[in-house]
Amino acid sequence: MMPWQTYHNAMQRRAFLGRAGLGVGSAALSSLLGRDLMGAEKALDSGGSPFPHFAPKAKRVIFLCMAGGPSHLETFDYKPQLNALDGKAMPESFTKGQPIAQLQGKELKVLGHQGEFKRYGQSGQYISDYLPYTAKLADDIAVVRSMVTEQINHDPAHTFMNTGTAISGRPSMGAWTTYGLGAATEDLPGFVVLSSVGGRNPQPIASRQWSAGFLPSKYQGVEFNSTGDPVHYVKNPKGVSDIQQASLVNTISQLDQKRNQLVHNPEIDTRIAAYEMAYRMQTSVPGLVDISDEPQHVLDLYGAIPGDGSFASNCLLARRLAERGTRFIHLYHRGWDHHGDLAKYMDICCGHTDRATWALITDLKQRGLLNDTLVIWGGEFGRTPMFQGKGGPGRDHHIKGFSMWMAGGGIRPGISYGNTDELGYNAVEDVVHVRDLHATMLHQLGLDHNRFSYQFQGLDMKLTGVEKARVVKELIG
Amino acid sequence: MVTLRQSFLVWCLPILAVSAQDALDFNKDIRPILSDKCFFCHGPDSHERKADLRLDTEAGARADLGGYSAIVPGNAVESEFYQRLISGDPNDLMPPEESHKNLELEEIALLKRWIDEGAVYDEPWAYAAPKKNPVPKVNDANWPANWVDHFVLSKLERKELAPAPEADPVTLIRRLHFDLIGLPPTPERTQNFLNAKDYETAWTDLVDELLASPQFGERLAIYWLDLVRYADTVGYHGDQDHNISPYRDYVIRAFNQNLSFDTFTREQLAGDLIEDSGKWQKVASGYNRLLQTSHEGGIQEKEYNTIYAADRVRNLSAVWMGATVGCAQCHDHKYDPYTIKDHYALAAFFADVHDVGYNGNALPTNRPPEMLFHSDANEEKLRDIKEDLESLLSPQQIMQLREFEKRKLQLEAEARIGKDQKRKNELLSQAKLIASKINEVIPTQKKTEWDRLESERRTVEARGRLTMITEAKPPREMRVLPRGDWQDESGELITPAIPEFMGTIPYAGEIPTRLDLANWLVDPENGVGGLTARIFANRFWYLFFGTGISRSLEDFGGQGEPPANGRLLDNLSVAFYENDWDIKALVRLLVTSRAYRQSSMTSAELAELDPYNQLTARQSRYRLPAEIIRDNALAVSGLLVLNFPDIEAASLGGDSVKPYQPIDYYKHLNFPTRKYTQHNDSRQWRRGLYVHWQRLFLHPMMKAMDAPTREECTAERPRSNTPNAALVLLNDPTFIEAARAFAARVLNESDDSFEERLTHAYQLCLSRSPEEDEVQLLRNLFTQTQAEYESNAVAAKELLSLGKSPPPEGVDPVKLASWTAVTRALLNLSETVTRN
Repeated sequence: MMPWQTYHNAMQRRAFLGRAGLGVGSAALSSLLGRDLMGAEKALDSGGSPFPHFAPKAKRVIFLCMAGGPSHLETFDYKPQLNALDGKAMPESFTKGQPIAQLQGKELKVLGHQGEFKRYGQSGQYISDYLPYTAKLADDIAVVRSMVTEQINHDPAHTFMNTGTAISGRPSMGAWTTYGLGAATEDLPGFVVLSSVGGRNPQPIASRQWSAGFLPSKYQGVEFNSTGDPVHYVKNPKGVSDIQQASLVNTISQLDQKRNQLVHNPEIDTRIAAYEMAYRMQTSVPGLVDISDEPQHVLDLYGAIPGDGSFASNCLLARRLAERGTRFIHLYHRGWDHHGDLAKYMDICCGHTDRATWALITDLKQRGLLNDTLVIWGGEFGRTPMFQGKGGPGRDHHIKGFSMWMAGGGIRPGISYGNTDELGYNAVEDVVHVRDLHATMLHQLGLDHNRFSYQFQGLDMKLTGVEKARVVKELIG
Repeated sequence: MVTLRQSFLVWCLPILAVSAQDALDFNKDIRPILSDKCFFCHGPDSHERKADLRLDTEAGARADLGGYSAIVPGNAVESEFYQRLISGDPNDLMPPEESHKNLELEEIALLKRWIDEGAVYDEPWAYAAPKKNPVPKVNDANWPANWVDHFVLSKLERKELAPAPEADPVTLIRRLHFDLIGLPPTPERTQNFLNAKDYETAWTDLVDELLASPQFGERLAIYWLDLVRYADTVGYHGDQDHNISPYRDYVIRAFNQNLSFDTFTREQLAGDLIEDSGKWQKVASGYNRLLQTSHEGGIQEKEYNTIYAADRVRNLSAVWMGATVGCAQCHDHKYDPYTIKDHYALAAFFADVHDVGYNGNALPTNRPPEMLFHSDANEEKLRDIKEDLESLLSPQQIMQLREFEKRKLQLEAEARIGKDQKRKNELLSQAKLIASKINEVIPTQKKTEWDRLESERRTVEARGRLTMITEAKPPREMRVLPRGDWQDESGELITPAIPEFMGTIPYAGEIPTRLDLANWLVDPENGVGGLTARIFANRFWYLFFGTGISRSLEDFGGQGEPPANGRLLDNLSVAFYENDWDIKALVRLLVTSRAYRQSSMTSAELAELDPYNQLTARQSRYRLPAEIIRDNALAVSGLLVLNFPDIEAASLGGDSVKPYQPIDYYKHLNFPTRKYTQHNDSRQWRRGLYVHWQRLFLHPMMKAMDAPTREECTAERPRSNTPNAALVLLNDPTFIEAARAFAARVLNESDDSFEERLTHAYQLCLSRSPEEDEVQLLRNLFTQTQAEYESNAVAAKELLSLGKSPPPEGVDPVKLASWTAVTRALLNLSETVTRN
């Protein structure tokens, strides 16, 4: 029997069984089936899935997380007044009673921009000289200059950005997305995480950031590694050939089927299907991660060298995953925690990421994928207008105003949205909270954040939490 | 083979709906609807409350709203509440559209009936103390083995259902082993059980034997450690190691010694406050230190004190109260009568536990207070050594001698590294002088014995482990934090108190302490002991029947599911505390019931009728927990090391162990960067519950098999069936090595023919013999694999080189590698990893 038929049969019988079956309905079905609910196979949707709620603009998300918290004041947020006050005391009106991280109890001085800004494209967006390639995207991206978050330390801030709360044990947005829409692939996970390093003292990243939380575990993000097995245990043990592995999996399935004639346990059918998918992953994943089959001009576009584990290679992998139907692709580049030597480390971090980011958008665009791929760029927070000096001049963590950008997937290209005050401290105009970002992202995926919930501990849990969130309509084309 | 008769379906169709004849049960039929659909705006949270109407209390529902009432008892049509449910005007309709809460027609009909019948409210079931009910009579008096069965059967008989037949003995002995000790039965034990003349006695004997096994404590500890979120690392940011493994030893020991649950509770929450508390009580008080902490530079102490306080409230309330009081951190609870004040008042009990002053990147991190812990066996050994030493010399001489020896070693060491020959000679002559002093203290004939004892003492002392404990300090000032904002100091000052609606807590000192809190939790007379007993009776049921009597293992609040068999649950709860909180007695009661011994097989009809097995018309079947999947493979292969390689005497517990793990798995960790070093000694093959629990990067095998990260309380693990889990069983070196050792064992322990060997393998792995077509399938796999390895012997050797356990000598590598394919298949079978 074809693997997916096995799944289909298994899941039909399974629909009423087990925790995972309850309330997940056809979303779970489609994920295990690897079906695209938005595609032609909608007919398979026998359980009456409530998702998507309306026609989506984006079929997938690529989230480029600049982990550590890039400075908005050295990337997108140009404030002439900041340069004017460079070296002077930070006006207390801004900082009184505000949460502060490493600068607690220190003298607070203004630090002017550590670089130049220019206007780019027809949109005339301000972008700093650190990002010459991103500057070429000025008319493709929508820059949000008024982001706020609630957590000032790295780990909780990432957790907040990914799950909408700092409390552990909640699903990451990639898990939410795959729970809602399933994967559009039979051979690969629906939620993939890729990471790279380069910059100042890389902050840790917890696997909590791609956790399925209280959602069924199959929605958890799968990390692809650049060293060792690309996915844990995806390679045969030493001394075991592909043929042997295939007959082993085959024998296991036959023995399980035989057993099931006696015990009639639908869970066994699911298991047989899981083994078949595992076996398919054993062949598809190594093929996917081997980018050496890309033409040289594509490798050059990104600046990727096969097997180097760089952000550039990960961007290229992101495109390959997008093409193959992965729903949520989350890239982390660790190195943006610039408490000191800001100028030096901006050069390093942008050197790692700027060109590849441009290449990814360009490549997606050329392949017609950008229209239905939502790309989001940003860190877990921004950085203070105030000086910090661990080494050369740097900036501390900052949560009251920072910048992110979005592109593709129905986002209006070439716009700026929102503003911070004259020193880039507080977001003061059209403030976008993290939960508004979530609501907007879900909206583009055809999901209404108010209705997109899952029962846990007796509560209707939502990515956007209990506070009101809004879809930022102005960002939508 | 069991199948329920088709006609059952017809008989029991109405059971899940409320039929007209059944009396309405407010808690079961009405409250869940009101709670889910109405309480968000018309419930306990005064800030969210709309139109000044609350429906969670009878008084609120009947209150005069200006000439009319929401609910007019006995008259739905006159009730504004009902009119709003059926209103044709979208502006009036409730629940409002934007809430996305729709009422089903059946639900509206139920609410109407309830109002027409008088709109009677009952106290929420979970807050009403359990009452002992008379044991019901049953028609089939032969079926029950104990009173539990009377409650189960009486319910089934009322639904006109029959219980499932008894499972076959092989299934039973396997079920009992996995449930009580988390290991498969040995072939010998299975055989003895099958040969037993008197089955009933054999069953109870087996139960008693397993309850007395040291592995029982390990099995139950897995569950407890999930509840209290035990882990080896801090859980935030750098996720540094912290010292806590003796706490796990405490939990295992407590279950093995059958410590009563009330004492178990007191020792963990307040071991430091118990009078004359000893070593184990102090270790137990480590419970208060199990929370996640951050050692990130730049954290604000005040902010993190708030985070930690909320973490403790979440865990305390989830574990002992089955409540989500954590939801009241920023606002009154939406569904339950917990106020924001209640949250901070509970947190105030822990204001004397301090978690500050340890920022930095040390590994393990510095988290005082800690104490040096020695296992009981170690302590005994140290006492013996001391006695032996004191039979040689007086205590003063011993001290003197140690001083001399230390000085001598220092001098000799200094001399070794010194460059100046003159200085060297000087040092060595000083050392000689001390040597002669040593000779004066101890005669030469005693010296050898002294040296032996001293070296042994040092070895044993090195096995001491640090562990975090609780030491009460002057309590921090606690305030209600409006909206949970730690920077807002406008809230009122708070002292420790239990939630207001639950009354007051008895206490003798100035303010209630953690010990008072613990006493209140387990005191059925003056506290909520009955409620606590019910939470745990329900969880024990889940452990042995696969599902709770109430399916809400974590939340017994308004949104929690009422128990399917409330009388049974109440009687179990009362029995639990009346029996002095005897855990083993409760477990024994459950597993000696007839209900426990039912077959887990089910018909499609019954599965549809009762998908969550709430009626107990069968047993449950499910994949084994992560740790036990590992334990099973190691046990079957013979690799399993049960005892901590501590001293010669057998010893449970011990430090955490590090099995094989993918390289670079910790690459995202920093402060400091982390390199995982697997254990290359016998720790490699210890049980899963000892595996190093890295909260931020839990071992991928554990994760794939649904073990929780233990950042928060987990009362119920998911049971998934994913490709990732399949990859683990197929390719994780632990399982490859186990398969190889299993193959070697089969070749070594049984005769030459394929069939005999396979039979032995089946007996070890599945406690039964293979059937003909199974033999055929595996023979094919074996033959095929053998042909491949015969033409590629290098590959066979490669496979056999995997893992740290030495491959057997004198075995043909091709044969062993080919058998490894067969044993890999067996370890991957659904039957192998399923508790039936």
